[in-house]
Amino acid sequence: MSKLTKIVALCVLAALLLSLPSFLNPYVTQIVITTITYAMLGLTFAMGLKVGLLRFDVAAWWAVGAYGTALLITKAGWSFWPAALVAGIIAVALGYLVCMLSIPRGMMVFFLVGMVLTMVFYQVFGSLKFFGSWGGISGIPRVTIGSFEFAHKPELYYMGLALLVVILVVYYLLYNSKIGTAWNAIGSSLKLANSVGVDVVKYRTANILIGNFFLALVGAYYISYSGVAAPQTFSFNNSVFVMMYVIVGGINHSLIGPLLGSLIITFIPEYLRAAQEYEPIIRSVFIILIIIFLPNGILGLFDKYINPWFQRSKYCAPFRARVPAESRATEINV
Amino acid sequence: MDVALFFQLLVNGLMSGGMYAMIASGFTLILGVMQIFNMAQGQFYMLGAFATFGVMAGLDLPYPVAILGAVAAMAILGILFHFSIMQWVMKWGFFHSMLVTIAFATIVSQSSLVTFGYDPGFIPPVFPGSWEIGTVTFSRNKVFVIICAIIVMVGLYYFMKTKIGTAMLASAENRDVAGLQGINSQKVFWVTMAVGCALCGIAGALIAPVISSDVNMGNKIFVSAITVVMIGGMGSMSGALLAAFLVGIVESFAYQFVGDLNLVVVFIFMGLVIYFRPGGLFGKPLPIPGN
Repeated sequence: MSKLTKIVALCVLAALLLSLPSFLNPYVTQIVITTITYAMLGLTFAMGLKVGLLRFDVAAWWAVGAYGTALLITKAGWSFWPAALVAGIIAVALGYLVCMLSIPRGMMVFFLVGMVLTMVFYQVFGSLKFFGSWGGISGIPRVTIGSFEFAHKPELYYMGLALLVVILVVYYLLYNSKIGTAWNAIGSSLKLANSVGVDVVKYRTANILIGNFFLALVGAYYISYSGVAAPQTFSFNNSVFVMMYVIVGGINHSLIGPLLGSLIITFIPEYLRAAQEYEPIIRSVFIILIIIFLPNGILGLFDKYINPWFQRSKYCAPFRARVPAESRATEINV
Repeated sequence: MDVALFFQLLVNGLMSGGMYAMIASGFTLILGVMQIFNMAQGQFYMLGAFATFGVMAGLDLPYPVAILGAVAAMAILGILFHFSIMQWVMKWGFFHSMLVTIAFATIVSQSSLVTFGYDPGFIPPVFPGSWEIGTVTFSRNKVFVIICAIIVMVGLYYFMKTKIGTAMLASAENRDVAGLQGINSQKVFWVTMAVGCALCGIAGALIAPVISSDVNMGNKIFVSAITVVMIGGMGSMSGALLAAFLVGIVESFAYQFVGDLNLVVVFIFMGLVIYFRPGGLFGKPLPIPGN
């Protein structure tokens, strides 16, 4: 694609996204905000997948961000922005302790420790009075910048969109930097990367800690629109949902896959509202069918059928991108 | 702490340890042989308890028949699960197959919620009453559960010595070479699935007379089973057995002192074990993806 078409496409997309709240009702805007939150979690999960680590602890660090911010605001009287930043640093510091323990022991131990950690945080936040027990911490004031208040849905939507763009840009730059090259090497073959002198433990730890920081920021964003941090939000199931978004979108696309997956899976159940009890069943059947028939997700379909045609057709020549390198194997090499 | 309370906690810990041993060894068997992370293990346990409840309360049959019924039902369900879903997903690798088992677990737990509701199911204790030695009382039913768990684990040990058990271990060691030696890997897979799920069925059937069965009982025990698997070393059966009783006792004693936070104590215990003995208590586990 030429530079001009890229810029035009980006401008059209930006205009569309910025004008979205003006023609959506508040209910749909709320769903879009939830989608953005999950998309950000999914992006971080996909980043962990790049180095061959499955993160079951997404919900745990998300909770640390939300609870850290909420406690600093309500108990210490801080304002939102420094509180969110400090919560991010807390998540990185705690994450470093866990990484020291689990990352040198391999992917499986990291995964299982993350799983137990999610359960442990859930239990701790739920049963300790300091964290507001099962009712959670409520009464978090609205976020402000100067005299401007993020009070309504559209403003909160813009805030989420800004955070999403920041995360996308940071991850894009990381993936195209030297660190990203090392991550790719680890993800393609652990043994090969090790043998050419990539410090696997160091790069994996860096990946997880960067992810932790952004997960905590997403937690801060979550309490800014929900106004309450309750343990039920950060349960085991949410980590599972994040994985499902990533796999439905397509695990070979670390940036677009989670966005597409979260968009699809948050909006489909909205049309199944009538069957509230059967909704998880329908969603699970949908996931199983997707995994059996489309192991590379919906973008895998694009890779397989549309992209080759796009590369071949002479009418598409002006829009043609660089030929992508052979897409990674479906199986994660760990 | 007085002696009576100590023995009470010990028996409770050993009982839950027996449950963990069965679930964790089923889990570790499936993980080692098929390289599938079976998240539906807790749901099979829950279904085992409900099957026992159904056979005893609904059909009015005696307890041993109910145990057999639950075990057979879980084994058949496991085989169906393998042939209908897992067979097609295994080739996509670890992550995909794990997500499929999560989706299956959601389907099972949600449909049992729709069917059974939130009401817990009670069946009366099979061996009511207790033995008293001095001030110490032992509930007969709990001791019965511990003995049964040990018998099942010994049975599993001898099962692994048979022809099909050896084939399973060989397949876990190296699937390709085992295939070259003439081991039918498809047969090994479905037998593994059946055994792993039947172990959960036995655990559910044994626990049903002791505690009330409800729909969420599977999730809680599954996390404990995971800690057992990690402490015992992934893929190591004898390690899982020892670790199960250790975790059960630690959890039971921790519950006495810190209540619902006992999971934190177990987590710290697990962290110490992973830090000082990365390969688990007994060191040499089966090969697992990612290690």
